[in-house]
Amino acid sequence: MHDIETISKKNEMIILLALILAASPIIITYLLLILSSFSEEMFTSLSLSSFRPTVVNWINVFKGKTAITGGITVNIWHYTLTTLLVALGITGLVVLISTMAGYALSRMRFRGRKKSMIFLLLLHSFPGVSLIVGVYFMYRLTLPANPLALRFYSFLYVILARGALEIPMSVWLMKGFFDSIPWEFEWSGIIDGASRIKVWKDIMVPLIKPGIMAIAIFAFLAGWGDLIYVRTFLIDPTLATYIESNLEVEFTHLPLIAAVGTFYLLPTIIFFILAHQLLLKTYVGGIKG
Amino acid sequence: MVSVTLENITKKFGKFIALNNISLKIQEKEFMALLGPSGSGKSTLLYTIAGIYKPTSGKVYFDERDVTELPPKDRNVGLVFQNWALYPHMRVFKNIAFPLELKKAPKEEIEKKVKEVAKMLHIDHLLERYPWQLSGGQQQRVAIARALVKEPDVLLLDEPLSNLDALLRLEVRAELKRLQKELGITAVYVTHDQAEALAMADRIAIIREGKILQVGEPDEVYYRPMHKFVAGFLGSPPMNFIEAEIEGEMLRIYQSRIPVPGQYKEIIKKLNITEVLFGFRPHDAEVVKGEREGIRGEVYSFEPLGKEQIVTVAVDSDVVVKVFASEREQFRFGEKVTIVPNEDKIVLFDKKTEKALEYL
Repeated sequence: MHDIETISKKNEMIILLALILAASPIIITYLLLILSSFSEEMFTSLSLSSFRPTVVNWINVFKGKTAITGGITVNIWHYTLTTLLVALGITGLVVLISTMAGYALSRMRFRGRKKSMIFLLLLHSFPGVSLIVGVYFMYRLTLPANPLALRFYSFLYVILARGALEIPMSVWLMKGFFDSIPWEFEWSGIIDGASRIKVWKDIMVPLIKPGIMAIAIFAFLAGWGDLIYVRTFLIDPTLATYIESNLEVEFTHLPLIAAVGTFYLLPTIIFFILAHQLLLKTYVGGIKG
Repeated sequence: MVSVTLENITKKFGKFIALNNISLKIQEKEFMALLGPSGSGKSTLLYTIAGIYKPTSGKVYFDERDVTELPPKDRNVGLVFQNWALYPHMRVFKNIAFPLELKKAPKEEIEKKVKEVAKMLHIDHLLERYPWQLSGGQQQRVAIARALVKEPDVLLLDEPLSNLDALLRLEVRAELKRLQKELGITAVYVTHDQAEALAMADRIAIIREGKILQVGEPDEVYYRPMHKFVAGFLGSPPMNFIEAEIEGEMLRIYQSRIPVPGQYKEIIKKLNITEVLFGFRPHDAEVVKGEREGIRGEVYSFEPLGKEQIVTVAVDSDVVVKVFASEREQFRFGEKVTIVPNEDKIVLFDKKTEKALEYL
């Protein structure tokens, strides 16, 4: 890594301290969550006497006994699977559509290109919540009667609806990535005898892998963390809806929820660790000159 | 191999006219250079031959075949880009093999052909590397290999040497010229470097603002330029131009008078003009100390180049010309000298149209 080394060592320490201080509320919150998941009582009071270490919460989580006090047990793995299905579904949808649409907006001349780009930005500025009434109306209109079909349909619908919210921004990002590739690559592919779709698949897409990774992460996190759309449309519960529905229940054993919450964070962290290397490896070492 | 015929090609980008009614015939196995400054339309012309651009009007023929509406892949051309456009995520082998794979050639054939062309270009030891692991010269060879592997009818080169350092450029120049003749392939070479064009091409087409000003063999465009622009673009340093007035049998050039060159006597009589631009190449004149018959001036500066030196002579306060002189000669700043141009090599241009008088 290179930087312009203009800051003195002393100032660097001061800036570093200030940054750590600014970040500390978030760090402390996560720390309390994780500590509470290993405690018999919530540690959020910050009194040391409330921290009595135990792993029973985690054992119960993995056994699927997530609501002991209420008497009902639910299978956390089932919830994880639904959450994953939703998140990966959204990721796939967003990546597919935005790499194709981004390419078209960046590289093809067609009527209404500029207008659709402006319209995309406009779409992005609508918050998902404000659209939900209309989206729900569509959902009701197209609802199948068969319960099994309904269950399947609700998955499809939530992926489409939540994915649609992510697509405008992702398309814009992808367009930017495609813009940065010199035309010569595309021309070269065409001269070599490739079709336009082949050029897209074999030359352009590999060149913007980091960009695709970036939008994949955003889409995955959007799906993994979504509450409103999932709760409105999906028949099956996800981790998010589970945590949310247990927060205000009278007999909830909160440290258990803390354990579920920590568990809920793990895939995000894993996903990020795996992807960040690729994410930071932008367009370097690609071409000379 | 094919010949390429361009017939009244015009290409517009919106309101901008990139190519203005260009007609050009490139012979079979010929090495044609398209020479011009940046923005002249030479690359646009090349891409029109390749099929990347379709002309707004006009026709492109390969031999007798009208290819104007044909997409690039059906024209069987190879193109080497200025930035080489090697696919960074593919190894060298795969880069070269790509055009063949798209043709669905059998695997053994691909392997054989790639190795053949790699050997010819001396890159057979680099096939397993990625483009970014290669030097500039090696990348360029890979780009040429990729263009040649499908045995194209026409090889198109878009400033392929301009990303190489000066020394390597000289080396590749000679090699590329030999390669083209060995393969006997029709080649079109776009460049803004006049030395490259003169050194490599069989014929040169000089392009400015979307128009061809002159087409001819290197000798022809160098010694018999039809247009002041051509004369000023070729050669290093380029041709000198001084304003001159015709007074009967004499030319007045600032404070000096020299006789009208023999080859122009008749032409001037016929055209009946008085104001011309007097042009001569730095190599085609002598600098003599003192005052003699010729163009008088003072030494403004001199630059020894080893074998010879460039002497800049001020003919008038704002008018300078450059002339080569032997390096043994010693000059002083401000020294009075006379330039004696070689009469046969003088070119006179019309001041208004900037065309050489004999082509008016």
